[in-house]
Amino acid sequence: MTQPTAPAGPTAALADALTAEYAAIWAYGPIGVRLSGAARAAARDAEAAHRRRRDALVLRLSTTGGTVPADRAGYALPFPVTDRASALRLAVEVEDRAAAFWRAALPHTTGADRDQALAALVEYALRATRWRRTAGITPLTVPFPGRPA
Amino acid sequence: MLRAGALLALGGAAGSLAGCGLFDRDDPAPGPDPLAPLVDESLRLAAGLRAAAGAHPALADRLTPIAEAHQAHAAELARVIGTPLPSAPAPTPSDPAAADPDAALAALREAERAARETATKACAAAPAERAALLGSIAAARATHVEALK
Repeated sequence: MTQPTAPAGPTAALADALTAEYAAIWAYGPIGVRLSGAARAAARDAEAAHRRRRDALVLRLSTTGGTVPADRAGYALPFPVTDRASALRLAVEVEDRAAAFWRAALPHTTGADRDQALAALVEYALRATRWRRTAGITPLTVPFPGRPA
Repeated sequence: MLRAGALLALGGAAGSLAGCGLFDRDDPAPGPDPLAPLVDESLRLAAGLRAAAGAHPALADRLTPIAEAHQAHAAELARVIGTPLPSAPAPTPSDPAAADPDAALAALREAERAARETATKACAAAPAERAALLGSIAAARATHVEALK
């Protein structure tokens, strides 16, 4: 899951978002094992949110004749996760990056698809903010969530 | 007709000429850009946050980045609309910052919640080229509610 490139159309945009969801789900594995207590519960909750969106996207793409990209066995992490601090930093990164893919889908969608893309962008931006608070990272917010740096 | 169209397209002066009957106008003058109220709203939110930061210096570290985000939103919206950002100070927020810090934060959260709704509706209705910016603004406002807790 890197920066989204401009997708070619609605189906490509949603397929890109699906690859981001796969990677996010995968990343919460190494994140979760480094966390405990409330943070671990929040990681489980976040992972479940990404699984719900993955399932909805697979259904959406397969029922409208789109190509469903395949999940991979593993994903390269941007940095090693060795302790609580690096796990929380990765959680921030995962949510920020997933938000970026849904933001990239907004121009390619209308109606219910756009509503869902916006809901995902907002939810992941919120999760990134909550992870920053847990990690003690300030400021808690970024001016343009999901916008490529 | 082309000539009249070109003259009208010169912009601001067209409205004041409308009453004098020199030109037969068959096109309605373009209305204000639908995003114009969002510029004002962003500037109002920034002003409210700065006022609260002035009244409660202990909150300044939390409030200032959020005020700056609203200012950046206003600038970006004005750029997209193609109007200069109003350089005059923004209208004073409707309520002076509450004397109690908790009440001040609660009022700011409420303002962000309402503003998030505005941006969500604007994103849903926006043409493709504006959807991503409005999505980021809606997400930012949602994270502000969280950061003001």
